[in-house]
Amino acid sequence: MDCAVALTTQAANMPVSEEPLLDVRDFSLRRGQAVVLDGVSLALQPGETLGLIGESGAGKSTLALALIGLLRAPEVQLEGSLRFRGTELTRLKEADYRRLRGNKIGLIFQDATAALNPCFTVGQQIAEPLKRHLGLSKWDRRERAAELMHSVGIPEPRLRLDAYPHELSGGMQQRVMIAIALACNPELLLADEPTSALDVTIQAQIMELILDRVRELNSSAIFVLHDLALGAQVCDRIAVMYAGQIVEEGPSERVLAAPLHPYTRGLKSCVVELGSRTLVPIPGQVPPLDAMPAGCRFAPRCPKAKAICGEQRPRAEIRDGRQVACWFID
Amino acid sequence: MQEPIFSLLDVERTYELRRPGWLNRAPRQLKALDGVRLDLQRGDTLALVGESGSGKSTLIRLMLGLEPASDGRVLYGQRDLAQLDAEEKKRFAREVAFIYQNARGSMNPRMRIADILAEPIRLHRLCAESAIAERLAALLDRVGLPAGLLQRFPSELSGGQIRRVAIARALAAEPQVIMADESVAGLDVSVQAQVLNLLRDLCRESGITLVFITHDLGVASYLCEKIAVLYLGRIVEQGPTDAILNTPRHPYTRALLQAFPRFDMPLKASLSGEIPSPVDLPKGCRFAGRCPEAQAACRESDPALTAFDAERQVACLFPVAGAQ
Repeated sequence: MDCAVALTTQAANMPVSEEPLLDVRDFSLRRGQAVVLDGVSLALQPGETLGLIGESGAGKSTLALALIGLLRAPEVQLEGSLRFRGTELTRLKEADYRRLRGNKIGLIFQDATAALNPCFTVGQQIAEPLKRHLGLSKWDRRERAAELMHSVGIPEPRLRLDAYPHELSGGMQQRVMIAIALACNPELLLADEPTSALDVTIQAQIMELILDRVRELNSSAIFVLHDLALGAQVCDRIAVMYAGQIVEEGPSERVLAAPLHPYTRGLKSCVVELGSRTLVPIPGQVPPLDAMPAGCRFAPRCPKAKAICGEQRPRAEIRDGRQVACWFID
Repeated sequence: MQEPIFSLLDVERTYELRRPGWLNRAPRQLKALDGVRLDLQRGDTLALVGESGSGKSTLIRLMLGLEPASDGRVLYGQRDLAQLDAEEKKRFAREVAFIYQNARGSMNPRMRIADILAEPIRLHRLCAESAIAERLAALLDRVGLPAGLLQRFPSELSGGQIRRVAIARALAAEPQVIMADESVAGLDVSVQAQVLNLLRDLCRESGITLVFITHDLGVASYLCEKIAVLYLGRIVEQGPTDAILNTPRHPYTRALLQAFPRFDMPLKASLSGEIPSPVDLPKGCRFAGRCPEAQAACRESDPALTAFDAERQVACLFPVAGAQ
């Protein structure tokens, strides 16, 4: 199957800058004894879109939340480095993080109904980052909020400014959240399953909207997704995560069209496509955080596992333009 | 031709909305279902597909007799569901099983799995008390769960396991028809594949009639041989799965197919706008407002579901032509 048609080859055309916009190196996150993220490395160039893909519990959302500094509780320990535009995020003070969030880094949550405050109008909520980060006057904020609502395809924005979230449909609420996330023209947009609560026709509209706006602003985006086919359609690069590790990462047309890691292959064989005749589930379950296998974490479920897989963790190797962590790449 | 196990004859379901404050004001009506005609043969596997607000769940509630039709009739065998006597109702409850959308919420959290599964068996007195244990073990085995789970509570089970228990409970009374509402939504792909394979094998082995509600055309095509597409309380197209996938005749079906994420196609927002409110239905075809093919006539006359060819019915004045 050829995925190339599905993708913009924007990444290939972009000149590689000196330093990536986001550089994650050997990043680990512990919560007490549990290793939630283990040695994650990836880099994102300006203008690129990256998809984090995997089953629940893989650490996709944890990585996104760690990036935006929402996992800074005392019991959470961070190791390794998270660099955003050259700034080390793991040691950033909370006050500095606040200047980043909603400003240089925007975030779209999965459940718009839960993420929006039911007690404030959507106009007030869109205006908040405009006040905090840009210091716009009250009148300017209202004008800009209406413009933003228009730009995310909300009809009659001036009337809707004074609407409360519950007065809008799920798709419209999601658009409001996109408007909030993009209010300050962020350089990086994080979107955690932005469309999984929506119908397919609305999903396509929202995804197209996010991509259009991200390209217009020349921002980068990280999508947390569970739908592989959607990942192929919207992401330049794909990182497949399993049990807190990245098992395969590279250009999405290669990773999804010809996966090298057995887990990526397994995931792909479970995807229901139109007219699928057979689905081959991956046997077993994701291991619990307190009982991670010593070697390769996927080994107990892997059809190709041999003795070494159970004993030693495979290092990520560069193969065919991507990083793959497996002892037996063929 | 064999007589259908379920027949819906121009079924309508309207809800009255009360507006506060004014006396003597005519209540507005919300039409959740409007003139639905459907025949279900024994052994059929039918998927009801549509976006939220299309009336899928209302339709299944009517077919289960949980709600009366405002107009039209729902027939099970030859009998009108609204006129079943107590004896017939009990038989209906045994022969038609339902798998709820929220599997965990559909189980009493304070009952053990064994009691949850034994309840329908005891209620319908399907076997002697002494034989129940054996029967429960067989049920769990059939849905691929270890017998050790019988003494657990629902909260101790994973999302995939709880769906399997829900399927086992539906099978407990040996039904002839299973209706399922979004039974694989929200599961990880690997677990979803397991549950889908289980449902498909069960239907193939035992010839159970399946009515499956889903918003996912991929899931519908994998599980069911027939698909009925709903939009705003109406069936707009129905027919065999392969025909619907390969040559959709209704523009809405085509838009749903185009919006489905695929590895080999670019992202395409095939429809603009959202499903309108069922309270103030537009005159003419209810899809006309979003339809890329709409013409003046579409806003005037409301197309009925009519036969397009031997197997397919479409409700559109200008069905999509062409082989693909």
